[in-house]
Amino acid sequence: MTEVVQSGMSQDRSDTVRRPLPDFVPAAGLMIVALLLWELGVRLFNVPEFVVPAPSAVFRSLIESRYHLMVAAKVTAIEVLVGFILSAVVGIAVALVIARFERFGRALYPLIVLFQNVPKVALAPIFILWFGYDMAPKLLLIVVIAFFPVTIDMLAGLQSVEPSFVSLMKSVGANKNKIMLRVRIPHALPHLFAGLKVAITFSVIGAIVGEFAGANAGLGYVIQFASTQLDTPLVFSALLVISVLGLAFYYVVELAERFLVPWSPKYDTRQRSH
Amino acid sequence: MMLAETAAPAPSVVSAPDTAEAQIIGRHIAVDFTHAGRRQRVLQSVNISIPRGSFVSLIGPSGCGKSTLLKVLAGLVPPSEGSITVDGIAPEEAAKKRVIGLVFQEATLLPWKNALENAAFLLMTADESIAKSEAFGRAEAMLKLVGLRDAENKMPSQLSGGMRQRVAIARALALDPQVLLMDEPFGALDAITREEMSECLLDIWERTGKTIVLVTHSIDEAVLLSDEVHVMGTGPARIIETLPITVARPRGEESYSEPAFKAAEKRLRGLLIESHRRTS
Ligand SMILES: Nc1ncnc2c1ncn2[C@@H]1O[C@H](COP(=O)(O)OP(=O)(O)OP(=O)(O)O)[C@@H](O)[C@H]1O
Ligand SMILES: [Mg+2]
Repeated sequence: MTEVVQSGMSQDRSDTVRRPLPDFVPAAGLMIVALLLWELGVRLFNVPEFVVPAPSAVFRSLIESRYHLMVAAKVTAIEVLVGFILSAVVGIAVALVIARFERFGRALYPLIVLFQNVPKVALAPIFILWFGYDMAPKLLLIVVIAFFPVTIDMLAGLQSVEPSFVSLMKSVGANKNKIMLRVRIPHALPHLFAGLKVAITFSVIGAIVGEFAGANAGLGYVIQFASTQLDTPLVFSALLVISVLGLAFYYVVELAERFLVPWSPKYDTRQRSH
Repeated sequence: MMLAETAAPAPSVVSAPDTAEAQIIGRHIAVDFTHAGRRQRVLQSVNISIPRGSFVSLIGPSGCGKSTLLKVLAGLVPPSEGSITVDGIAPEEAAKKRVIGLVFQEATLLPWKNALENAAFLLMTADESIAKSEAFGRAEAMLKLVGLRDAENKMPSQLSGGMRQRVAIARALALDPQVLLMDEPFGALDAITREEMSECLLDIWERTGKTIVLVTHSIDEAVLLSDEVHVMGTGPARIIETLPITVARPRGEESYSEPAFKAAEKRLRGLLIESHRRTS
């Protein structure tokens, strides 16, 4: 690596991008060790299953309730996906409006920041009250929670264009729309994806909280229902499914980023090598 | 603040050589900036006349207003007082007609485009109707001119600082401007690359005959390249002296040892030190 940096411009410089994906092997090993210790601890100290179930009990429950969990996962996944897309659209739109219409943006921005400080989880019961037990209140909750990081990052990206480049564009007669379309928006993409990754995580939280507040389907509903039954293994199984779901969604976004923004500074080998 | 309080002595304007027609003419240019509600005079009564096809440098203490003056010449900052014409028309009009090319300290290449696309980008923005092949053809020729024959397909992240700056110069040249305005284009480069770049620029100027206005902090660079050096001083900024450089052309490595070079260098150093003293 050092050699590559020193020679700088040499032709044989490898163009392969160092993958930012985690190294699975050591992580998996550590997890197996942790699970074994957990299993051992539960058995050794005779911990009741409804307090802390052993991994084997969770696994058993996962197999037994697989159909139940799959149906619930589908409901939650759709909420997360639709909610995330809506959040992205709303977040991007708000950022574009703020950046393009500066005066209006200056008025709007503080209001959005103010709104961000409302504990939005607390809005869930109100949304349920307004829209009932269907998908709508969950989607609304997700959007309200997840659009903000998209807006903030997108806005930072739109404004990250160097002023001297804007001057160049202006000097050859490009108007604001053209500068926006050709320069600001593409410049914002790496930032946008940073926001989208936060948003997808928030979308999962929004869906689960929405289901807690009032639902008759979904993984959040399963967790709540199972805990009233003291079926802790099922609670843990549902948690596991949620985590896997969240992780999968996250990597879809990451994959999309790599496909759409291959020039992102984080893939620059030179910047990563020191 | 300090700038506005000091009374400006009458500017001593040395008129440009009468032999060449003046392409850029600025008369009594003043620029005010409002900062935190306070008006600050940044340029005061600047008279400048730049002959067509000449190489002119602006030099002066940091923060004196060189970039501001260059932006006025480019039509990016409207002067509060005075007038400025490029080829007889307002500079912003001239810029739209692609008379003016700009290069700044940072190359500011678009990271999602390769060197060739970057070099063609401004031209394609300026002229929507230009055929892609023509724009790319011109960009390619300009990349060759700046010595980047083999780097066309490289992405900006694969280029060194000097190479990026060359692409930025090619991008400006692709507009085929008659005037090239450059604001410390080599400021971020190391000393050796910098010298290479000045020689590259000298070569481009000799081949294309464009009018070049260069803002620089390097006395050597100014003397090596210029026909005339405008020394700027603060309080508020104005041109305190215009020094013609008589070093024989064509210039190159050997010019550094010429007596005329040394004399010009010494004179410029003296003027700059004086200007600095008055600033602090
Ligand atoms: N957009 C602006 N708004 C307010 N003040 C400005 C603006 N641009 C420049 N100035 C002020 O004008 C003065 C001259 O700035 P300018 O950038 O022209 O100096 P410079 O000679 O190019 O300096 P340097 O050598 O450091 O590049 C400075 O005091 C600066 O603070
Ligand atoms: Mg400057």
